Amino acid sequence: MHSVSPAAAQYGSPEERGAPRAGGTQGGCAEGGEPDEVDRLKGRLLSAWNNVKYGWTVKTKTHFSKHSPVYLFGRDYRLDTEEAVERFQTDFASRLWLTYRRDFPPLGSGLWSTDCGWGCMLRSAQMLLAQGLLLHVLGRDWTWPDAPFSASLAEMEPGKLAASEQGWRLWPSAAVPSLSPRQQEEEQQHRTLVSWFADHPQAPFGIHRLVELGRGSGKKAGDWYGPSIAAHILRRAVESSPGTSHLAIYVSQDCTVYKGDVAGLLRGGAAGAVIVLVPMRLGGETLNPVYVNCVKELLKLKACLGIIGGRPRHSLYFVGFQDDYLLYLDPHYCQPSVDTSQECFPLESYHCGSPRKMAFAKMDPSCTIGFYTQAGQDLDTLCAQLAQVLKAASTKDKYPMFSVVDGRAQDYGLEELCSRLAPLPALRPGRRSKGKKPEADDFVFL
Amino acid sequence: MQTFHSSQSVRPFKMRKSFATRLEEVAGIRAKFPTKVPVIVERYHREKYLPLLDKTKFLVPQELTMTQFITIIRSRMALNATQAFYLLVSNKSLASMSLTMAEVYRDYKDEDGFVYMTYASQEMFGCLLPSTGGKLADHLLTT
Repeated sequence: MHSVSPAAAQYGSPEERGAPRAGGTQGGCAEGGEPDEVDRLKGRLLSAWNNVKYGWTVKTKTHFSKHSPVYLFGRDYRLDTEEAVERFQTDFASRLWLTYRRDFPPLGSGLWSTDCGWGCMLRSAQMLLAQGLLLHVLGRDWTWPDAPFSASLAEMEPGKLAASEQGWRLWPSAAVPSLSPRQQEEEQQHRTLVSWFADHPQAPFGIHRLVELGRGSGKKAGDWYGPSIAAHILRRAVESSPGTSHLAIYVSQDCTVYKGDVAGLLRGGAAGAVIVLVPMRLGGETLNPVYVNCVKELLKLKACLGIIGGRPRHSLYFVGFQDDYLLYLDPHYCQPSVDTSQECFPLESYHCGSPRKMAFAKMDPSCTIGFYTQAGQDLDTLCAQLAQVLKAASTKDKYPMFSVVDGRAQDYGLEELCSRLAPLPALRPGRRSKGKKPEADDFVFL
Repeated sequence: MQTFHSSQSVRPFKMRKSFATRLEEVAGIRAKFPTKVPVIVERYHREKYLPLLDKTKFLVPQELTMTQFITIIRSRMALNATQAFYLLVSNKSLASMSLTMAEVYRDYKDEDGFVYMTYASQEMFGCLLPSTGGKLADHLLTT
């Protein structure tokens, strides 16, 4: 290895991260004792190895243009002033980052105590749900006072940051901020929210629960997951813990969102809001470039919760874009699991300070896009915005990425259509094997 | 349905029949059923999860909407509602509720007169465990 992977460099090895930080609002939390030299070295090697193994590339200097806006969950930032760069970074680093973890209580049959190598889609799905919950519980304006911070995006080369503080913000000791009562309450909510994603069988949205719920789709621990299956797993997870989030999840079928069904979820039960998930396939082998503009426009919407997808075989959570590059959070970083039942468990490993970009052209066509909506006007607004974006993007050929229609799925009589038409046998199938046959014989008449 | 052979791969329709034969087939069937649209539905060549349809050639009422058509194909494969299923035409997903088969036919019919559709589910994500992992770890430990 000629170079340390950026993640390790930027965030430090787990041991380093556990070291007490100078100041910061977590200052009151007790940290473990100083690990000995051998453990430290071992930790570094393991960390470096996992990063090689799980996809972080050695090279990476993420460069952001100062001239075109960066969109992040419906907000746009022009990075031409330091202040704007800092606001963008704080916003980005306040998002929840869920990654591979190791050394957690064994899953199901007991074979797996890590999801390294297979759980990336579930991690991306967790991140999307977490972003929905952040919006729902804390609102879009909330930022984490301890958000990891790097000096300048033009110098995003992680090695430089590592030399000083691994990219974490250090308050001058005289200026340790004290949290207002409101901030303290928010911090508590933030912690509670993170704990819902703990790698523990009891956590409502943890990897154990998601894997368990995936069994309904024929998946088990160690399998690879797709964005559509992940969407349904999230739906079931939220359904089965109604007291937790006061949210509901709607997953569209066949790229059609039925507004009436979403409204029904908002009316029924305790759901104060709904996350609408639309699993899609935007091309065969590669992303069809005709969709790129539409994806951009959707990512600009305030209601958009980003996209779970990735590049082929490598899941990523797309959170925004700049020019022709998607901004993402990458779950491929293997961290030790955190015991969130401790009162002051460390939050740092749940946030990522370095935004990364990937060209739209590399995006895998399989993905699921998410939107957040509250009852009433909010849903009308979202549907109107979606209709407008989808229509504008497809004016040339009338073939939108997905559709939003009024009413409920059952109003369209598709079930009845199935029972009426599906059992029709193929026309005279008995004659198929004859050498010479009339052309029409092969057709199935609908 | 018992007729699926999920592991079987079939040569694409276009390779099985010559252009002249296909042209002739369409002309024959269109003459007999002018209000129906000839559609070829084939599995995406890399599809691993969806079954192979027992039939490839469909004659579809032109007023049928895309969603109705997708629903019919889904139920022929006995897919449940949560199984991902996409019909692609010309590398685009057919997602519009109201589009009719007549419109799709007009926009995308091949020069042989058929309209070709490919069905696929979604790709799965995960990183292959490198078989050389152990060696690399050793290397890391010795450098």
